[in-house]
Amino acid sequence: MTKRGCDDNRKIDMIQLSKNYSLPERQEESVPIKVVGVGSAGSNALDRVLLDGMDKADLIAINTDVQSLASSVAARKVQLGRTCTRGLGTGGDPELGYQAAIESAEEIRQAIAGARMIFICAGLGGGTGSGAAPIVAQLAREAGSLVIAFATLPFSFEGKRRAAQAQDALARLNEVANAVICFDNDRMGDMVAPKAGIHQAFGVADMTISQSVRSILNLIQRPGLIRIGFDDLFAALRSQNGRCLFGFGESDSDNRAHEALTQALKNPLMDKGRMLSEAAHVLVQVTGGPAMTLSEVEILMRELGRYVCDRTQIVFGTAVDGKMGNRLSVTIISSLAAEDSSVAQQMPAQPEPFLAPPPAILEQIEEPSTPAPAPKIEIAPEPETAVPAQPAANDLIQFEQPVETQLPAGPSIKKPAPRLIPPKKKPVVEKEAQPSKGKHAHAKQEVMQFEPVARGRFEKSEPTIVEGQDLDVPTFLRKNIRVR
Amino acid sequence: MGSSDLIVGLEIGTSKICVVVGETRFDGTLKILGVGQAPSRGVRKGEIVDFETAMKCVHEAVVNAEQKSDVMIRSVYVAVSGSHIQSFNNRGCIVLPEERDEIDDQDVEDVKINAREVSIPAQNAFLHSIIQHYHVDGQNGVLNPVGMLGEKLEADFHIIHGVRTRIQNTIRCVKELPLEVEDVVFSPLASAQVVLTQHQKNLGALVVDIGGGTTDYILYVDGAVKQSGVLAVGGDHITNDISMGLRIPMARAEKLKIEEGSCTLGNCLPGETILLKDDSGFAGKEIERETLNTIIHLRLREIFELLKRTVEEEPFINYAGAGVFITGGCSLLGGIDHLAGEIFEMPAHVTHAQTLSGLTSAAENPQFSTAIGLLKYAQAVQIDRPRRGITRIFGRFFSGMR
Repeated sequence: MTKRGCDDNRKIDMIQLSKNYSLPERQEESVPIKVVGVGSAGSNALDRVLLDGMDKADLIAINTDVQSLASSVAARKVQLGRTCTRGLGTGGDPELGYQAAIESAEEIRQAIAGARMIFICAGLGGGTGSGAAPIVAQLAREAGSLVIAFATLPFSFEGKRRAAQAQDALARLNEVANAVICFDNDRMGDMVAPKAGIHQAFGVADMTISQSVRSILNLIQRPGLIRIGFDDLFAALRSQNGRCLFGFGESDSDNRAHEALTQALKNPLMDKGRMLSEAAHVLVQVTGGPAMTLSEVEILMRELGRYVCDRTQIVFGTAVDGKMGNRLSVTIISSLAAEDSSVAQQMPAQPEPFLAPPPAILEQIEEPSTPAPAPKIEIAPEPETAVPAQPAANDLIQFEQPVETQLPAGPSIKKPAPRLIPPKKKPVVEKEAQPSKGKHAHAKQEVMQFEPVARGRFEKSEPTIVEGQDLDVPTFLRKNIRVR
Repeated sequence: MGSSDLIVGLEIGTSKICVVVGETRFDGTLKILGVGQAPSRGVRKGEIVDFETAMKCVHEAVVNAEQKSDVMIRSVYVAVSGSHIQSFNNRGCIVLPEERDEIDDQDVEDVKINAREVSIPAQNAFLHSIIQHYHVDGQNGVLNPVGMLGEKLEADFHIIHGVRTRIQNTIRCVKELPLEVEDVVFSPLASAQVVLTQHQKNLGALVVDIGGGTTDYILYVDGAVKQSGVLAVGGDHITNDISMGLRIPMARAEKLKIEEGSCTLGNCLPGETILLKDDSGFAGKEIERETLNTIIHLRLREIFELLKRTVEEEPFINYAGAGVFITGGCSLLGGIDHLAGEIFEMPAHVTHAQTLSGLTSAAENPQFSTAIGLLKYAQAVQIDRPRRGITRIFGRFFSGMR
């Protein structure tokens, strides 16, 4: 009886499985998407997107300046404020940009009609970008589209006035857009060699925008083995008023998993992966050719695991694309809360996190039955890399990682839709000597107790003492690095 | 002078004893006739701790070498190492007599003696005094002052000294066999003779010889020895670390290190394991490759970082244009050159003895660098100083070697 029931269940499962398999998710590609460039900086970015090759979306340039508009290569162009600016620019006045956009609202509405998703590229700080971009976003939302804005903040040498205008515009964009990915031009400077031409320096910002537009498009449109949908994307970008982290890397070498990740973390928005340690959600998409192996994905995810902290929700997606050939690309998207407030939100009711764990917990930790084997070794963080951007109080503690937030053992595990998982109320207090607890993801090993004398075969020989350390004692013991 | 001279180099290492038999041809080439070796016991950190056992092992190695090369070994050059060996740079100075202003050989000898008039601990003896450069009346970088005019002759020497009795222990061990000891040579000095070319010495190079019990180093800048020393940490320590970290017997740890060891992190698959087969007295065990590599990595990193700090005490390291040359048994560990390159921030190479004829396969093993280097050293010494009976081992001077 029971056996039969079992069989039935299995049959049902099989049928469902084969159904899923026989239905490729092709219909996704038909999602109408439009990319809109607002202002001169926006249309520059748009040009770059087009030059890099974009056939999946319509491109629309929106500007007050006719000259700039004429030079844009976008297929569709909208001139703002025919009467109020008469084809000239706004002269850096966001108010003028705002009025021009209001005047041409109808044209904008027509241009963006019918898109399910709209990407808005704008350079904030000037007139048109700062003034019109929020209006475009608003109109798009009213038309029922999802809006993702890509905004650049001005260089700090452009003056405080522009910076303030940019911040205002960013705040308004944040109110209306579903998600804002914000690029700080100052940080772009880090990507460019000091001697590189100024063209190249500005080009880098455009290139980064283009890359992110494209990778988000791919993320959503590419039929994935583990798909990442809008919901995942918005969860990753959720934190309001926050700072977006974005990284993209691609490699076709032998060690491509490692190299692609390194490149992605090199992105100035990532700050070499340091920023990731405080992110609540990290979205990772790995795309490769048919030759991509499970172990590559595993290596990559494990390495990434070192950069995120325990309570980070990793949303993982993977896709195989024949066009990728030998290449493997990694896209990492995340966001940081601007203030500590969001961290506080995410950790409701944290009772006395500094208490030492009761002995019962240690026992639990020692249980070897954790499903996903986290790397057993952990190198103590180097002090110089351990500068947390937010020295928040909860950096000092590490929480027992809930099973759900562990790194996936392989891509076969579909992450549940991102939601905040309250950490178990069992903080493990680390030794004070170890800096930057938040950076490392694996805190679940017990501290191994070694016998006080640990010189092994050198027990009876003359000790080698250099710089006050007995070198006969194994290095990993002296440096307090846990091995297994 | 005979058509060829037999030279034998003997290195009493912590993990093995190695005897290399070579002959110098009259055309100046050096040919390796045979290599004998025996596992070493009774040696810790490069020094003999059990005299009887060590002697037996040396005997075994010498007999092995005699069989392989088909010669009778009577005298040997011996390499010494150990944490007691120290070095420093010193400058000697003499003023020529009023009536003479041409520098002659005697003045050069005098300046050497003068340079050695420094206080070293009473129980220590000089091993080497190696000329770096001469200065004649303030003119720097003179290579050979004989025949030059000048009033004041100065000379920079690199002086290597060690505890007399500890060096004598090694010598006694060989003499008991009985073999004659031609000379004792500080190990890295010997290694450097075959690991580096003259060009590399001129460019500047750091030789790091990581053996079983010690890590010996020597730094060449402008063709002269600037720094040398011993860190009494070596492959044995790595084995010990593995044994303690993975909780396996020493012999297993040693085998594991040799067969599977690497110091590269992050390139093994997650959860990749190595299966240790069971053996008598040892239940089989599965260990993670990453764990093994981490233990090795941490130890080697520490060795290199300590060396770097030591060498950086004086500013010469920046002039090591040719980079770091790693030799010795531990240089066979995978990824060691990358690690050294990363820490020293200069090109790093794993090398072995170069430019020799005869048994080239022996030369290609970095474990034999020191023993083969002894031959090259001996050859250079013999050209400089034709055989003159029994060499004075202590208080001897030697300047031709660079």
